Amino acid sequence: MSALVARISVERASKRFSSGSVTVFEELDLAVRDREALCILGPSGCGKTTLLRSMHGLVPLDAGRIVIDGAEVRAPRRNVAMVFQHFGLMPWKRVRENVAYGLELAGLPKATVDERVERYIELVGLRGFERSYPNQLSGGMQQRAGLARALAVEPDILLMDEPFGSLDALTREILQDELLRIYQLAPRTMVFITHSIEEAIAMGDRILVLSARPARVRELLQVDIPRPRTVAGVIAHPRFIPLRDHCWRLLRERAA
Amino acid sequence: MTLHQVGVEVDESRAAAPRTSRWRRLRPGDWAVRLGAIAVILGVWELFGPTLNKLILRPPSDIVRAFFELIANGELQDAMSQSFRELFGGLGVALVLGLVIGIASGRWRFVYNAIDPLVSALYSVPSVALVPLIAVAFKSIGDPPRIATVALFAIFPILINTQQGVRNVDRQLLEVARSFHTSERRLWTDVIIPSATPYVLAGVRLAIGRGLIGMIVAEFFIGLVGLGYLIIAYENVFRIDRMFVPVIVVATMGILMMGLVQWLEGRIAPWLKKEQ
Repeated sequence: MSALVARISVERASKRFSSGSVTVFEELDLAVRDREALCILGPSGCGKTTLLRSMHGLVPLDAGRIVIDGAEVRAPRRNVAMVFQHFGLMPWKRVRENVAYGLELAGLPKATVDERVERYIELVGLRGFERSYPNQLSGGMQQRAGLARALAVEPDILLMDEPFGSLDALTREILQDELLRIYQLAPRTMVFITHSIEEAIAMGDRILVLSARPARVRELLQVDIPRPRTVAGVIAHPRFIPLRDHCWRLLRERAA
Repeated sequence: MTLHQVGVEVDESRAAAPRTSRWRRLRPGDWAVRLGAIAVILGVWELFGPTLNKLILRPPSDIVRAFFELIANGELQDAMSQSFRELFGGLGVALVLGLVIGIASGRWRFVYNAIDPLVSALYSVPSVALVPLIAVAFKSIGDPPRIATVALFAIFPILINTQQGVRNVDRQLLEVARSFHTSERRLWTDVIIPSATPYVLAGVRLAIGRGLIGMIVAEFFIGLVGLGYLIIAYENVFRIDRMFVPVIVVATMGILMMGLVQWLEGRIAPWLKKEQ
């Protein structure tokens, strides 16, 4: 079990859509521990993504605050990187240039950029595709590039915005296994947004279950399945079914 | 409805979309059809044209002969150098102004609001109607009024497409850029310019066509020179065969220049054609 130090704390955070009176979340409190993988699970449209974007300083809160390493988040921080559901690759950059993007913006020397790009392209299994444009790649390959781009800046905190949400079931499971493998190599603080119960159980050390809008914390669950994990191993684990049923009940109660 | 609202509504439809369709690349079979169609039209014209109207529908073979006559006496070269000076000068002015105003108005709301009513108004007025005004403004002296006319005809597609290209930048990519701590300068080079490039080039393609029209119109209205002069002069003496020569030169010029832009697009925006 990792140290119980809060790396990210969300304190009485509230957000409304600027256009109207729709409350996305209100008075939300949560703490992400150092080097834990926290999955945020909630129904579609419950504001999970908005919460994650707030954690990254991409959207301002209306009330409350989010603190990372003791400082209030107002803009994206250097030691935080995000993986997007829509991949967010630049269509005009080759895989290599996309992966190098964050490193170049960080102003690292060219030799370091080259070395890291090569290493992380290798790590996500994209060797041989360095010179491809994103539209020449499948969705799964594109997200591998998105993952490499985020990992390459070697962030302390990884924010995952439903990264596998737009992939087909088979590709999703392959990439989940890849991420579990990569995470095992260098565990770090990770917040992983998903609406899939299975994914939340497979990826998370803890799962925060949110209600439908306005999002409230329904429950914080410990996932007592040991690492290293594989998706198949997690599903076969005796704790999986009870955890899944419990999550189901939490999500359904609210919906009904 | 205010003028501004009208402008905004018209915006989307008047910006030409970048070409991304599967028709982009011509196959050998496509070329056969294209050349075949031209050959059929020329053949019918050659055989049946003169029987319909001997004076106006001079056969293509006569036009070819007229072409060499006009080259032999030097008239065509003189007219072309005059006309192309106007054309390239005007397109250059339109490109620079169109890019600058288009980028500024695409990026900054203030500039957009300041120029949009004017652009919408000028774009809606047939440009021909403004040519006498240009003639007066430049006192009809030398090439400047004709260059200005070409620029007026050509600027709007470039300006509006550039503006739309800059405005239509994928918001998700802007967020990705912020997420990786982009600077304003890198935001332009990494995201905004590449994403606007196909729009700009589509605008330039449209501008070439309009610029050629502007060139001929300017030569009709202001001073009577260049290829426009040749058209009017030989029309007046019913040498329709010779009148067709500058017309065909203008058409050929349009085809070549648009082809050049399309080739350029493949060079500077290679990601557009790399789809599998």
